[in-house]
Amino acid sequence: MSRWVKFLIVLVLGLAAGLLYGWVINPVQYTDMSPGALRSDYRTDYVLMVAEVNHANHNLDLAAQQLAMLGSTPPAQIAAQALQNAQLLGYTESDLQLLSELSSSLQSWQPGSGISP
Amino acid sequence: MTEGPSSPRRGNWYLLTAALIGLGLGLIYAWVLSPVRYVDATPASLRADFKDQYRLLIASSYIATGDLGRAQARLALLKDADPAQALNAQAQRLLLAGDPNHASTVLIMLAEAIQPGTVSPTPASFPLPVSTVTRPAETATGATPIAISSPILRPSVTPIAISSPILRPSATPIAVSSPILHQSATPTSTPGEPFVVTKQEKVCDPSLASGLLQVDVRDAAGRGVPGVEILITWNGGQQQFFTGFKPQLGDGYADFTMTPGIVYNLQLAKNSAQVTGLSAPTCPGQAGTTYIGGLHLVFEQP
Repeated sequence: MSRWVKFLIVLVLGLAAGLLYGWVINPVQYTDMSPGALRSDYRTDYVLMVAEVNHANHNLDLAAQQLAMLGSTPPAQIAAQALQNAQLLGYTESDLQLLSELSSSLQSWQPGSGISP
Repeated sequence: MTEGPSSPRRGNWYLLTAALIGLGLGLIYAWVLSPVRYVDATPASLRADFKDQYRLLIASSYIATGDLGRAQARLALLKDADPAQALNAQAQRLLLAGDPNHASTVLIMLAEAIQPGTVSPTPASFPLPVSTVTRPAETATGATPIAISSPILRPSVTPIAISSPILRPSATPIAVSSPILHQSATPTSTPGEPFVVTKQEKVCDPSLASGLLQVDVRDAAGRGVPGVEILITWNGGQQQFFTGFKPQLGDGYADFTMTPGIVYNLQLAKNSAQVTGLSAPTCPGQAGTTYIGGLHLVFEQP
């Protein structure tokens, strides 16, 4: 076997070792994540918390601000997505109702409109 | 004359070179070009300011629903070593920043509720600010959070009366350990005359923690004043703490653990003279022994 072949074989082995180390043994650690990267079930629960608070204070501006933590998607869309996820995850009827209430309220919400009736 | 890798005079160094090049390329690809992507993050991996926001939302939700079990389960997701302490610490930070929206109150109420063995009122029975929203960048720098708050009143829930037996602390006191709980949503000191020290006494009680400095702040009517910032300094350090974080001991109560041999100066952050030369006293114990006692200071408005 020529030295070039050996060279390439060892090169590939080194590459594989590097990938193994970088992806498996010591991957890049993300410790400062934003809520937008939350797993869908956590996102859904986050939205549920917003819905619970909104149900008590009817403050859609506040709810929208809280939902904005999850990303740049419109709040109504975030709430609607959460409602879908909640249905898939088997949330209780009361929780679904809260999410539905938030979602439908946000459909007609305009920024700055403040406290909903 | 140049020699290629096929030259027998080069030995096996070229293999090491190849391995290092391969390893380097692999790491560049794995760490830079295509790092592991986390798209399913957990609340525990959130940045500190987002965790604060998450924690505040949990507390607000608890205030809105009164569902302590759910709040505890959610707090567990953040994997704080001590959730109550994390809530208190966040409340403390808010208080230090002024907390114009009283978000600390909801945090403290939840912290109080999750403390084992404490009597906590039903949260929704109190008119309290629900929540505040903080922009991450602002929270990180401790700036004032933007907030919209409105009270919750749930008359269907019966308030639980808080009986407040006068207890002396037996556990190790820290500046902020147990939360405040008030009928009034805003802990504020009473405006008016400056507070003066009306009592300063040595406390020799072996059941208390060594070096316990107890402070009571009372208004002109003798009522405890919560939320009063106390500044204690010593050679090489200082600490701030607040009254009202141990409601079972009184709204105006706060304590601090002195280290024996260190002399402290203490004053209320606003409106009081400084009390100097405070140190943990030595008390006579049984059979001729001694132990480290404490001090009790009472501030009152004339």
